[in-house]
Amino acid sequence: MRLLQVNLRSLLLYSLVLLIISIPVSILSIQAILNEEIDESLALQADQFRHHIQSFEYLDDLDTDLRVFDQISYNVHIKPDTKILPEGTYSTLSIYDSLEHETKPFRQLQSSVLIKGKPYSLTVRMSLVDNEELLQAIGTVQVAVSILLTIGLLLLNRRLAKRIWKPFYNTLDRLKAFELDKSETIPLEETRIVEFNDLNKAISHLTERSRKVYLNQKEFIENASHELQTPIAIFQSKLDTLMQNPRLAQDDADTIMELESTAQRMSRLNKNLLLLSKIDNDQFLAKEPIELSTLIQNQIDSQKLVAQIDNIIINITLPALEIVANKTLIEVLLTNLFHNAIRYSLPDHEINITIQGRTLSIANKGKQLAISFEKMTERFSKESSDPNSTGLGLAIVKKICDSCSYSLHYTFHNAIHTFSITF
Amino acid sequence: MKILIIEDEKQLVKSITTALRTEGYVCEIAYSAAEANEKILVFDYDCILLDINLPDVSGLTILAKIKSHNKPDGVIIITAKNSLEDKVKGLNLGADDYLAKPFFMPELIARVSAIIRRKQFNGNNKITFQEIAIDILGKAVTVNNTEIDLTRMEYALLAFLIANKNRVVSKNAIAEHLSGDDAELLDKFDFIYSHMKNLKRKLTEAGCEDYIKTVYGLGYKFST
Repeated sequence: MRLLQVNLRSLLLYSLVLLIISIPVSILSIQAILNEEIDESLALQADQFRHHIQSFEYLDDLDTDLRVFDQISYNVHIKPDTKILPEGTYSTLSIYDSLEHETKPFRQLQSSVLIKGKPYSLTVRMSLVDNEELLQAIGTVQVAVSILLTIGLLLLNRRLAKRIWKPFYNTLDRLKAFELDKSETIPLEETRIVEFNDLNKAISHLTERSRKVYLNQKEFIENASHELQTPIAIFQSKLDTLMQNPRLAQDDADTIMELESTAQRMSRLNKNLLLLSKIDNDQFLAKEPIELSTLIQNQIDSQKLVAQIDNIIINITLPALEIVANKTLIEVLLTNLFHNAIRYSLPDHEINITIQGRTLSIANKGKQLAISFEKMTERFSKESSDPNSTGLGLAIVKKICDSCSYSLHYTFHNAIHTFSITF
Repeated sequence: MKILIIEDEKQLVKSITTALRTEGYVCEIAYSAAEANEKILVFDYDCILLDINLPDVSGLTILAKIKSHNKPDGVIIITAKNSLEDKVKGLNLGADDYLAKPFFMPELIARVSAIIRRKQFNGNNKITFQEIAIDILGKAVTVNNTEIDLTRMEYALLAFLIANKNRVVSKNAIAEHLSGDDAELLDKFDFIYSHMKNLKRKLTEAGCEDYIKTVYGLGYKFST
């Protein structure tokens, strides 16, 4: 639910409740006021009747006249009575209208009058039809107002939501699209709303800061890797100096070799980290057309020698496939994939490298892995305890695929690991 | 044969000079660009090892200066920044080779010897060691004037060892030289061992003395 809708819901609910209560309340109070008015005029009529009848008391057959009057008059009735009521009683009643064939509401005042010493009951009536119509009109207007109010508020709300919240949604869209490793920042958008301006400023500040920290971090990794190269070089050169000692004991020689292997591992780790950070920093931009099958053939020629040690046979089925990419990146990508296949292939088995359409597949027989593909392509996650493996190979493969928008897939079926890349 | 080492890391310079001197090279050292500039102007060198990341001036500036003076010196760039851009820039400026830190000392020595050979003999070059003669261009090896048939690997191995004669060359350095990045897959050295065995057999069969000594635990040494 949107913020403005929440707001509107309470507002709308309150107005509607108020309106619904106000309709009967106003109708009842208007009715009361009208009745009071009518009662007053009824009292006046009765009073005037009493007053005027006294001037006719000299008539002898007033009794008969009154009976005639009672018959003729529609609103005033006078009938002989047995007793005198102390005061008049007001009441509302419905009377059948023979002309229109319907009952109509009336207000009447029943009181007593003494004419020539005889008690009469005097009833004065007044039609309430006009009042009923008035009340109906008021009710209709009120209902119409509430409907219009609801519709109006809803429409207004929609327009407002679109207009007022536009900067907010713009910012939200930008935030959603924001990627720390891409170079764009979120630009500041000026709006008339203070809160949105504050929000935009805060977001702009935050993203700018994060980006700076991220860039620093990236730069730091690259610098740190660079700076490590020289100490490793010194370390390795000193080992070489040590090796030249003709009186080296066997144990010392072994230690030196172990140290050299370690230094080499360190150097590889460092080179791979540097490579990752360079890919991150978009330092491989130059693209050229590459004949993939030729490139693979060349790499396989050199790697065959290594594969042969474990009696691994590399089969290739390579139709020509030309891609446009950065050559260094593609070479690194292939090397890492092939190394991976050779390293994890069971001895005396085959590695099949095929190109189908724009997809390159590398399949090798191997043990089932305990880690998932996602985990596999993370940095420093490795399945083997092989000290020669840096745990960065597949991370680099993934990184290159991501940076070049190639899709990388992995399947494990019948003890065969298959990595495929669609260019 | 005179080599100038322009490098600010004293410890590294010390190891490099020790190694190069074993191979009979005369080494001079410049720890800064200022020192290097002086020496370059006054002397001619057969090979200059140039570190790009110097504290005062970039090594590339020095390289430009060397080339602007039409010096014949062969230049090998050594850098901690293994960036393609630097490599291309360096080679375009006229550097002869490019080596990224960290490197194996035998690799450096092999590169130095290759440069010197190219510069000194103007491309027509032959390496001779006692009865062995290597024709670099034709990649042919003769023992007592009889050609022996070597595989690509065996040839590379022999050239690498001769360039590093009288020094112990570790198995790691050989593996890296022979198979580059693929060396990381070689957790065992049967690979080198089999090539080495074949090379030794071919040489002795041709009547060559066995100059390749196995230094147990470490690697090999090519010496009389």
